[in-house]
Amino acid sequence: MTLATEPSVTEPAPPEGADGADTGAPSIGGAPMTNFDAPETPGGRSRTRVVVGHLTLAVLGLACIFPIYWLYATSLRRPNDVYEVNPLPWPLSVDSYRTAIDEIDVLRLLLNTTVVAVLTALGQLLTSLLAAYAFAAWNFPLKRLLYLAFVGSWLVPFQVAMLPNYVLLHQLGLLNTLSGVIVPNIVSGLGVLLLRQHLDGFPKELLEAARMDGRSSWSTLWTVVVPNLRAALAALGILLLVNAWNEYFWPALVLQRHNDVLQLGIRSFMSSTEGDDWGPLTATAGLACLPIFVIYLVLQRHVVSGFVRSGLR
Amino acid sequence: MSGMFVEVAPPTLPVPIVAPAAVGDRGRTARRLARRLGRGVVPYLYLVPALGMLIVWTYRPLVETANYSFYSWNLSPTQPATPVGWDNYHRLFTLPELGGSVWRTLLMIIGLLPFTIVIPVVVGLLSREVRGRARSFYQALIFLPFLVAPVASAAVWQWLLSPRSGAVNRATGSSVNWFHERWPALIAITGITGWHVLGFAVVVVAAGLASINSDYAEAASVDGASRWQITRWLTLPLLSPTLVFLVLSTVLLFAPQWTFPLIDSLTQGGPVDATTNVYYLLWEYGIQSFDAGLASAAGVVFFIGFGLVAAVLLWISERVTIHDD
Repeated sequence: MTLATEPSVTEPAPPEGADGADTGAPSIGGAPMTNFDAPETPGGRSRTRVVVGHLTLAVLGLACIFPIYWLYATSLRRPNDVYEVNPLPWPLSVDSYRTAIDEIDVLRLLLNTTVVAVLTALGQLLTSLLAAYAFAAWNFPLKRLLYLAFVGSWLVPFQVAMLPNYVLLHQLGLLNTLSGVIVPNIVSGLGVLLLRQHLDGFPKELLEAARMDGRSSWSTLWTVVVPNLRAALAALGILLLVNAWNEYFWPALVLQRHNDVLQLGIRSFMSSTEGDDWGPLTATAGLACLPIFVIYLVLQRHVVSGFVRSGLR
Repeated sequence: MSGMFVEVAPPTLPVPIVAPAAVGDRGRTARRLARRLGRGVVPYLYLVPALGMLIVWTYRPLVETANYSFYSWNLSPTQPATPVGWDNYHRLFTLPELGGSVWRTLLMIIGLLPFTIVIPVVVGLLSREVRGRARSFYQALIFLPFLVAPVASAAVWQWLLSPRSGAVNRATGSSVNWFHERWPALIAITGITGWHVLGFAVVVVAAGLASINSDYAEAASVDGASRWQITRWLTLPLLSPTLVFLVLSTVLLFAPQWTFPLIDSLTQGGPVDATTNVYYLLWEYGIQSFDAGLASAAGVVFFIGFGLVAAVLLWISERVTIHDD
């Protein structure tokens, strides 16, 4: 965003020579200090707006982060201090985590959830890659219609499809199993869309060269396309992983009486303790979010841009 | 886009192009045809896994749902489904729940718009001067709630909004029993969902603002337009595609779907049915009352309803948005 390209260029000879202080250095430390109405109110006003901007973002950031902070703060207090209002949890204690692990076997839930999320994301990634490759590399009858089928899939919410899928899972004997959570989910319309966009921008010369070498389309996919698509695949993979990790509706339907994944474990914990056991409850919730937060910490930029570019799930 | 494998001339096979009249050619043409057919099948083979899953788990159930809606069935494998014609639809439209759930979904949509439109736009405009590292740092914080697992957020908000010891009531000195009173429960569910999606909307609006070409604003400012005039008549109209996208997300995704885990774990649609929105009603009909016919009728109605809303919103957006190109 460059609102800062200077008015002094477009407006011939502004009388205020003072303006030069700003115009001379449009980007100090990567942060342009001027803007288009600078001629009327040089210097000060623009700095005020920078300060206002920082304040706005800081206040909003704190408001957004507070519940998450409070979650971990509560989980790290000693059991008797849970009702303290001191914002700093001190002295620290991991008793709540110990209770959570004893009472609802959080570690098993973490493992189950990891298995479900990773397999779902990998399955979605694979089916999306193959489909996107087909759309990007060939012309074939019904191409537009079939592509529309993927685009339109987001208009069919899970809730509308839930009963027939439930019946089919019952017939397949997959109700109350982790496979029942994974299998119906290993297609992602969004994945196909995003990967196709990437593949359409893929240099065709590379594919042609591979063809000339006499490679099959299958070997071209794995030796030429995938290595060049690594960044896009990683970004999409993270997105799908986060979605699969946080999925609630489908596990709740398939695993009705068993609380085999974290999301359901927390829910049953909430209802069974009548919400008085705040320490262990917040500890469990904190653990449920932790893997995603760690991924976010490491790959922040990719996560945000992945979600923003994808928009709809 | 144009098929890379199609356009490239296939390595010429050692089949000379000869007059087809020769008798012995028949076998060869057939073989050539088979080879061409074989090549034609290739893209479909790559499509099979994804397309198969899509058909089995998305489009087949959609058709089945429409089919179920004309039967009376309690989902039990031993119980036969009996055809009842339009009875389920008749029941659906005479029961009071449908109207109520649509109304509450509408209230949730309205309640979410400040989080997905108003605050993001105001914040986006106020913070345009913040750039670089500082900006990504703030965005990282603001975006974080979007990644919090919905049930984990239900847990922490149950604690924050706990009537006697929760941080919110202690800080404000109020004694509202958030999840057990009608309006507070609806407000709480909407507010928590808003907290989840706010960061997403802020980042999307910031990206939208950043993509607006600054030449227009400069030209307008040269012509003597005030800052407010530029915002009102240039920036906001150019931002409208982004805003339409956010409205669409709010209507189709955030209000009906993102609320679901929160409703299910915090209020179960209550008190009475103060937080039962359309999809929670569907869930109650199908999974709690085992009324497959009624639930499917509701599913068909909601599918068509949301489809129409999406179409109308897209139509409006085509008419009002100004494309910057």
